[in-house]
Amino acid sequence: MPEAPTLIAEAIRFDAVGKTFPTRPVPLRAVESVSFAVRRGEFVAILGPSGCGKSTLLMMAAGLETATEGRLERGGVELVGPHRQTGVMFQDATLLPWLSVLDNVIFPATIRRIPRAKVLEVALRLIETVGLKGFENSRPHELSGGMRQRAAICRALVLDPDLILMDEPFSALDAITRDEMGDVLLDLWQHTQKSAIFVTHSIREAVLLADRVLVMSRRPATVAEELVVPFPRPRTPALADSAEFAAVVAHLRGVIARNMAA
Amino acid sequence: MKAALTSTLAVLAMLLGWEALVRFLPVSPDLLAPPSAVLEALGRHPEILLDQGLSTARETALGFLLACVIGAGLGAALSSAALLRRVAMPWVLALQIVPKMALAPLFVVWLGVGAPCRLAFAVFIAFFPVLIGTIAGLAGTDSGALRLCRVLGANWWQTVLRVRLPYAVPQLLAGMKTAATMALLGVVIGEFVTAQQGLGYVVMFAASLGETALVLAAITLLCGIGVVLYGLVLLAELAFARWYGAPMPAGEFG
Repeated sequence: MPEAPTLIAEAIRFDAVGKTFPTRPVPLRAVESVSFAVRRGEFVAILGPSGCGKSTLLMMAAGLETATEGRLERGGVELVGPHRQTGVMFQDATLLPWLSVLDNVIFPATIRRIPRAKVLEVALRLIETVGLKGFENSRPHELSGGMRQRAAICRALVLDPDLILMDEPFSALDAITRDEMGDVLLDLWQHTQKSAIFVTHSIREAVLLADRVLVMSRRPATVAEELVVPFPRPRTPALADSAEFAAVVAHLRGVIARNMAA
Repeated sequence: MKAALTSTLAVLAMLLGWEALVRFLPVSPDLLAPPSAVLEALGRHPEILLDQGLSTARETALGFLLACVIGAGLGAALSSAALLRRVAMPWVLALQIVPKMALAPLFVVWLGVGAPCRLAFAVFIAFFPVLIGTIAGLAGTDSGALRLCRVLGANWWQTVLRVRLPYAVPQLLAGMKTAATMALLGVVIGEFVTAQQGLGYVVMFAASLGETALVLAAITLLCGIGVVLYGLVLLAELAFARWYGAPMPAGEFG
């Protein structure tokens, strides 16, 4: 597989992408003519109601689903399957129950046949950054839901991908843990230049984390509105308490409501 | 420790009660031999019982191993090929509805009265739980874990070894536990119908002579074989659980 030239400024590009599932009796049109690009280092949130097809969008970006129309480009090259430089996080942590936290974090390296010693340092640092230090040898069942999702973040980052795809990674968590995880992610992104697509139905998460928010329409999903988040980085969780933040959230809520009514 | 002591005492009490029943009540020792007579029978024909016991143990172990290999192999094949599953599953299930003991005489017609007949019959009745355990185990793999494998570009072997197998082993072991008892049952039935050797043959022969003590002695040895085989599978399960280190999904036969 040819490596993407680094001068390409886009990590991933959707070009008039559509997806229809061959369900019966009526084919299900999940995604319709979606076009957008994520620049290198940019954090894009995809905001939309549940079941609008935004997860399908992300699965296509991960190379797990193929587009039935249009085309996807990853670093300037057509995307045809899972990409080595992409990290993915799902709604569930999907840790393997018989592996320790550390072994779960290192699992991608195991599959890619990268020697453990090469990634051990990175893995341990990530585990410390997300606040799991001391739990390296614990099994997933000994951890809370939030801690498991922290381990999953580490696993998605351990091979140092340049693009991270996150499919409602905190939707299975309670509200307090959920805010906490948003803060962990915000903290991680202060020190990284990675691109990210973050699918969520939480307006707060989208505005706090993203450089740009794409609001999706109802199914078939298409980009209804785009909003550049006007807050500079580095950001702190305190940002979410400010009046400006509340105004942006209110604006987005209005956009979503108009979309639903339409 | 205390529980083990209680259980042991209960067994001893039961044996004493049995002994007392035969000694002090008008129960004929020819109908129900007391434990002391069973012990005596064990001591009276040690070489016969040992010889026949070894034959039964050998065939049970071999039948069990073959049942595991065939059951797991067939289960894996059926799991991986939907077409094969559609064709073969109705037959496999139909075979389970047939009272399998009734087929034992047919095995004699097909395979004669030697070891192949007893082995084949043992495998025939023992492979099914392993087959079902394998299919259930392989189907029980977390779909999220499989998706993770795809994202990471894991190949078929990696997916099987690193993800599918660990998820399947608890169910497979549960099937093997059932198969251990079924294999012994199959060999004993085989010994009944072939009437050549083995503890099953001793049971039949001794019963026809009214030697209840010898019958019970042979059955005691059969229990011993069953316990050892079941115990070995249990040990394998413990070893796996130790490696797994997390609550395991409960097996269908567990």
